[in-house]
Amino acid sequence: MIVESGQLALVLALLATGYAVVASVMGVARRSPELVMSGRYGFYSTVILLLVATAALVHAFVTNDFSVRYVAENSSLSMPKAYTWVALYAGNAGSMLFLAIIFSAFALVAVGTIRKRLPYTAPYATAIMAMVLLFLLAVMVFLANPLSRLDVVPLDGQGINPLLVHFGMFIHPPVQMTGLIVVAIPFSIAMGALLAGKGGNDEWVDLGRTWGMIAWLILTLGLLLGSWWAYTILGWGGYWAWDPVENSALMPWLAMTAFVHSIMVQKRRGMFRMWNMVIIIIGFTLAQLGMFINRGGPVPSVHSFAQSAMGWIFLGFMAFTLVASIAVFVSKVDTLKSRGRLESMLSRESAFLAQNIAFLAVAFVTLWGTVFPIFSETASDVTITVGQPFFNLVNGPLLLFIVFLMGVGPLLPWRRATMGSLIRALRIPLAAAGVIGLIFMIVGPRQPVATVAFMTCAMVLAGIGHEWVRGTQSRHRKGENYAKAFIMLLSANRPRYGGYVVHISIIMLAAGAIGSSFYSVQRDLVMSPGDTETIGEYTFTYTGTTHQSHPDREEDYAQFEVYSGDTYLGEMEPFRAVYPDFRIASTRGAIHSTPIEDFYIVPSDFSDGGQAVFRVLINPMVWWMWASGPIMILGTLLALAPRREPSPATLRVPAGMRPAGV
Amino acid sequence: MKNSKTILTVALAALAILALACTSNTGDDIPEIERKTHSLNKAIMCPVCPGESIDQSQNPLAVSMRSIVAEKLTDGWTGDQIKDFFVERYGPSVLLEPPREGISLAAWVLPPMAVVVAIFAVFIGLRWMRRTTAIPSAVTSETTVLTLDEQESYFRRIEAALDLDDTPDDPSLPS
Repeated sequence: MIVESGQLALVLALLATGYAVVASVMGVARRSPELVMSGRYGFYSTVILLLVATAALVHAFVTNDFSVRYVAENSSLSMPKAYTWVALYAGNAGSMLFLAIIFSAFALVAVGTIRKRLPYTAPYATAIMAMVLLFLLAVMVFLANPLSRLDVVPLDGQGINPLLVHFGMFIHPPVQMTGLIVVAIPFSIAMGALLAGKGGNDEWVDLGRTWGMIAWLILTLGLLLGSWWAYTILGWGGYWAWDPVENSALMPWLAMTAFVHSIMVQKRRGMFRMWNMVIIIIGFTLAQLGMFINRGGPVPSVHSFAQSAMGWIFLGFMAFTLVASIAVFVSKVDTLKSRGRLESMLSRESAFLAQNIAFLAVAFVTLWGTVFPIFSETASDVTITVGQPFFNLVNGPLLLFIVFLMGVGPLLPWRRATMGSLIRALRIPLAAAGVIGLIFMIVGPRQPVATVAFMTCAMVLAGIGHEWVRGTQSRHRKGENYAKAFIMLLSANRPRYGGYVVHISIIMLAAGAIGSSFYSVQRDLVMSPGDTETIGEYTFTYTGTTHQSHPDREEDYAQFEVYSGDTYLGEMEPFRAVYPDFRIASTRGAIHSTPIEDFYIVPSDFSDGGQAVFRVLINPMVWWMWASGPIMILGTLLALAPRREPSPATLRVPAGMRPAGV
Repeated sequence: MKNSKTILTVALAALAILALACTSNTGDDIPEIERKTHSLNKAIMCPVCPGESIDQSQNPLAVSMRSIVAEKLTDGWTGDQIKDFFVERYGPSVLLEPPREGISLAAWVLPPMAVVVAIFAVFIGLRWMRRTTAIPSAVTSETTVLTLDEQESYFRRIEAALDLDDTPDDPSLPS
């Protein structure tokens, strides 16, 4: 009964969403606010119906109703019920429902904010968001129904993929998927404004920026969580492998980072109107490409656990939205002429443009490297692999250039800067970079590329630090104590200082990546119980293995006593689990993590008698990568926090003043 | 001003010390042959695992390939000889880096070309933007035309009054 209600809810949701699209569009065409409103209510009711369908699926899981195909494929009698959360999105059909309910919830909030502030854009934006939902629902109802029943009811389900049974899997996939689909919201706002003929009016920019930043933040967290999960659970000591699915999540992130910056130029100077439309179309297209590659594209990947031919349908929808967006853009391009003019090649605006181009270049390189294997296979019958060395070599310098721009950009004024003023502003940042460079050249190990990278990071931090110190001091001189001055400084200009906080977190991320990429040290060792080995200043003794048998897996825990120099660090216990039914082995490394470095042991092979192969790593600065996450959230929240209304200001200017070009 | 310079110097020193502490491992104490094995492992793909190098993968084939690499290095083979050995058996796709010849040359050539095109595009775009104006400005004879610097200083004062100015003050501009 409950399952049937869920199925009915899905069908009704499909109809309601279809109605929302039609009513919104017709409401605008016929200038009928009632029709627009009813379209909106159709949209709202979809949310409720999706909740009903989700509740039905959860109920089926909790009651072990294996007559439902999806439940049979993704759970078992022995599965702890807490894992139902993961099972909801572990398989194709379930992840569609997950995407639909999450997107509808976000879109609900978005529609609420849009309709008050952008009454002409709102019907179009609602229609576009409803179209995305329509697609998801159509796929569910006609192709991959999460609530469809099996003809023969099995006694037990297949169980859940053991790789998913880790804390990281409780958050990374949902966050990543949410990030990808939420990109549709700033896209809908931008396209809606364009369709409403408001392309030349920058009223949509505030909400576009807000939702763009929300989508960006969620995408960033998805990437960080995925890297963290790979690092802790996959057992090869790394966190990013330029794997096709990783790349497919990175590309929309690159576009959205470009977008949240270039949108500021439109807000400030009414420029980049066409460019911003192009960027958000690229962002949404890449997000859909991400969803396609994740679902079983033609490129092989470690992520392929939700494989199916369904992926091609996503590609089809992506092609449809791309073609439609381009058509709308071309037809409305006349409304997108800039209000302001670029006055100098040396200005904040051109720095933003250079940054945007650099981000797109990275996205292009990543896309190229990801699809090249397919290209070479069709063109020459030989399959070529494009792996880490390629991406690191090509994307590395581009990303470093972007970090460099992060240091120079905030120092450039809007409109125009003189070379002299720029150099003056760069004095302290360049001095800091020079000092770091000198120290590393004299004292540190010789790694010229890493040295340059650290110098760039120092330059950015020094620029931010200098501004914060000066700003706090100038407020302090007006009577506030240091603490209050600092807080008021941040609070008085939240977008700017929120941006600074996010930049600091990016430097933390970059530092962690540089440290671990260039200075990490690895050994693969065969050890028997009682053996002691060293790496760097760490001494570790393998004391033995304990074995644990479970109904679905066999686990081997290796015990180590670890010393750093003469200090006893404690016991570390990496383990390896083998799941015979799934033919998967999963390892979990033992990690001793400090802000300086991670000491990391992971087992790879156990023989009889306890002899085993262990990989031991020292990974410097990885801690900073994970620590950057919370800082990034804080910075984004600060940048998004609403400001108090500005009060009017007057300034006397000479009579008849009329500068050219405004 | 002095105060801020002291704070920044101290912060910089702390940063430098931290960075040096983190990067103090040279790995010089690790036997050369282990290091060579690692860099080779990272350059060879596991043929049966989707997208993983033999360094990353836990698959039994990857494990045995790692021991082959180690064995051959001990026997005195060079890195290139070992790579060729695997290419003979599994084809060029076993290398993580596309070879720099034939069709794969396109993989390497296109990105730098794209970057050059992009830089070119930025310059052309900036110059095009400088020429295009949406709103024609009408300057009548009663108006005073200010120099660019004078305009700048008024813009800055206006923006400062509106709390929009967010760049460090430039003492060189007239105020």
